[in-house]
Amino acid sequence: MNRTLVPWEYTTNVFFPVLRRVFASLILLIGCAAAALAQSASKPTNVTAPFSVRATHLMGFADTRHNAHGTLSIQGSALQFQKDGKAGGEVKIASVQEVFVGDQGRQVGGVPMTLGKAAVPFGGGRVVSLFAHKKYDTITLQYVDANGAVHGAIFQLSKGQGTTLRNELVARGARLSQGEDEGTKPSTAEVSSEIK
Amino acid sequence: MKSSKRISLVLLGVVVLTVTVTGPLRLSAQTGPAKSSSGNGAAGATRWSVQVVQVDAGDVNLAPSFQVAIYEDLLDELGKTKQFKQVLRDGDRDASDVSDLLILKTTVQKYTAGSETRRAVTTVSGATKLTVRSQLCTRDGQMILERTVNGNVRFFGSNLRATHNLARSVAKTIKKSSLPEPSFSVPAQGAQ
Repeated sequence: MNRTLVPWEYTTNVFFPVLRRVFASLILLIGCAAAALAQSASKPTNVTAPFSVRATHLMGFADTRHNAHGTLSIQGSALQFQKDGKAGGEVKIASVQEVFVGDQGRQVGGVPMTLGKAAVPFGGGRVVSLFAHKKYDTITLQYVDANGAVHGAIFQLSKGQGTTLRNELVARGARLSQGEDEGTKPSTAEVSSEIK
Repeated sequence: MKSSKRISLVLLGVVVLTVTVTGPLRLSAQTGPAKSSSGNGAAGATRWSVQVVQVDAGDVNLAPSFQVAIYEDLLDELGKTKQFKQVLRDGDRDASDVSDLLILKTTVQKYTAGSETRRAVTTVSGATKLTVRSQLCTRDGQMILERTVNGNVRFFGSNLRATHNLARSVAKTIKKSSLPEPSFSVPAQGAQ
């Protein structure tokens, strides 16, 4: 029973550097893996792969009704808007001169919801309005037709899809202006330029 | 208990009735023309064509979607008035062949960003307001008409509805103004 007793604090001191090294290696490994994943994510998109996204056409797109719900898709070198699977308007991506992404908050439910809220007594509809809104992305395109005439089109997309669509369009040949996106601008309460 | 139910039912009825009656009135008030201008419908304007130039935001920090929406709504509304022979877009090559062409320039003077939710919750705040200066010029730069026009959304509708109301006001203003005959020399007209 001639044992040498080692106090527990000494024992931990022996293993602590080893544990530290293991943790450091693990953190390094995780960091490398994250960097590799990020690199693979930021690779240029496949420009031949079809791309589609649900969208609401607000105005301006060729041969498409206002406020039409449908699918905005990129087929080859053209941007198409299809409603209920039927072929709708089409614009060549090369003719797109400007792409802007913005965002806006809208009340959900449309006219029935508005009427319902108005019918709630004691201003209860206002409380409903506080929660019945949703944020959307808007994508604004400016393109020219065969005659050189400038057209503008605005689409409403789910939050976060505007930037994806813009990147896809730019990757396939749409020009991106030097101007800022709508979302990056400062939101001033009132901006005026009075001509004196 | 019954009487309180009756009272609440009557109140509900009154609210629905009020909304039904006053809703359209409010809408019509907010889409009304910004400025009344004297003059009968342009007699000689049927011979003019108009080219709508892209909206100039000036120094105002206006979202590109609003600029595009004003431009597109102006084309729509001017076409609806049937006052002009042709309504052409900016950059259209056909414009060079059109003899009697007016050019509509729009410069944004003032913009108040609104919020649909604030409008819905408070009613009195959150209005989206737009003020633009519209100029109708001939090809050689002679000013025919210059007006300041407003477009607002105060109660119902999305923020972009302000551009629709603005374009309607611009179209109405042009329709009410007396445009000269295309063949005559045009005297310059000052701002209102």
